[in-house]
Amino acid sequence: MSEFAQDPGEETRGNALRRGLVALGGVLGGSALLGWLPEGARSARGAAQDVRILNFVHLLESLEDAFYREALKRGKLRGDMRDFARIVGRHESAHVAFLKGTLGKKARKIPSFDFGDATGSRHRFATTAIMLEDTGVYAYNGQATSLTPGALRAAARIVSVEARHAAWIRALAGRSPAVDATDALLTEAQVMKRIRKTGFIKS
Amino acid sequence: MTELTLEEIDVDGAIREAEDRVAQLTRRGLLGAVVASGAGLLALGRPGTARAVTKNDVAILNYALSLEELQSAFYTEAERLRKLEGKARQAARRVGSVERAHVAAFRKALGRNAIRRPRYNFGGVTEDERRFLKTAVAFEDLAVAAYKAQAPRINNRGLLAVAVSIHSVEARHAAWMRYLFGIRPAAEPFDSGIEMSEILRIVRSTRFIAGPPARTTRRSRPRFTG
Repeated sequence: MSEFAQDPGEETRGNALRRGLVALGGVLGGSALLGWLPEGARSARGAAQDVRILNFVHLLESLEDAFYREALKRGKLRGDMRDFARIVGRHESAHVAFLKGTLGKKARKIPSFDFGDATGSRHRFATTAIMLEDTGVYAYNGQATSLTPGALRAAARIVSVEARHAAWIRALAGRSPAVDATDALLTEAQVMKRIRKTGFIKS
Repeated sequence: MTELTLEEIDVDGAIREAEDRVAQLTRRGLLGAVVASGAGLLALGRPGTARAVTKNDVAILNYALSLEELQSAFYTEAERLRKLEGKARQAARRVGSVERAHVAAFRKALGRNAIRRPRYNFGGVTEDERRFLKTAVAFEDLAVAAYKAQAPRINNRGLLAVAVSIHSVEARHAAWMRYLFGIRPAAEPFDSGIEMSEILRIVRSTRFIAGPPARTTRRSRPRFTG
């Protein structure tokens, strides 16, 4: 336990376990399970909503992709951390390409990013990568119930890779790869609040 | 969805297919009386709505439970035998506690519709670090692939939310065990789902499932056999 004491009280810790598993337990009792779901989870699933959600995750994937590109270009990473950035960066590029190709003309324009000093050292890189990867997982999870089955099928192929990235970078940074029994489901607004706080999105 | 190039899925067809499989499994006794006695669970929500817990949802929940039970038994045995050290030991303890939490939650949700826990025999893989990690990698990757294939078929949105939030945790576990085993935690940019029949075939091929559940009904005293 002590090895992970530095894990800075993720907002999801404990809460996710309680919310998620209590909700599961409540299914039989017929509790108001839908009240627990994020905003939007109750809206009608369909092509228009899929496009909106895919554009949202396209932005997140583009942000991650740009972050790893810059980290590699800047050249401050060595050894296992550099390998991580190289391999994971390739995955994020593949996700961006897939989402862009899927959205076609419906793809929204991606803003420019500024990572400041986040790629300037091993420690800052790892801290930022953990935040981006964890947030990516929570973002996909939060949209799962709003997607049509076909879009969910595609998103599910990506989200577990994001979770693998999150666990990987956490292990490299000496933090617990998996803190809770369930991962959080964040709404688009919650995710964007987290991302905007970083100041990475320029325009 | 027509303007999107996402993989098309025939949801109704998939559910029919899954129901057929469940019917087969039930005949084989693996899922017991799940479908038949699911009245309480199935009464929740009108059929055809996102609140409805379908027969297929119950079958998927029991299927997930069977995989969680397998993992839970594996880690619990590793912890109990105390042959692991250092990071592997710590991972076994932490991941084990999570898998037990998943089992408890699924059992609570399913109530009397839950399948019974079979007996396991891990044949010594929990006593050696390399064999433990190799098996853990296989179990976790398998669980990720299993949840992934089923998620789009879950009707009840609450169950779906729980399933996806467990799916990504299993992926974290898979990456963690791969890291400790010394292989790439994320090998490909896209993970693939694996269908239930294939997963069950793989699980059977391990021979870790040693037999049917121990009888819970009170047994008569052993007969004197002289």
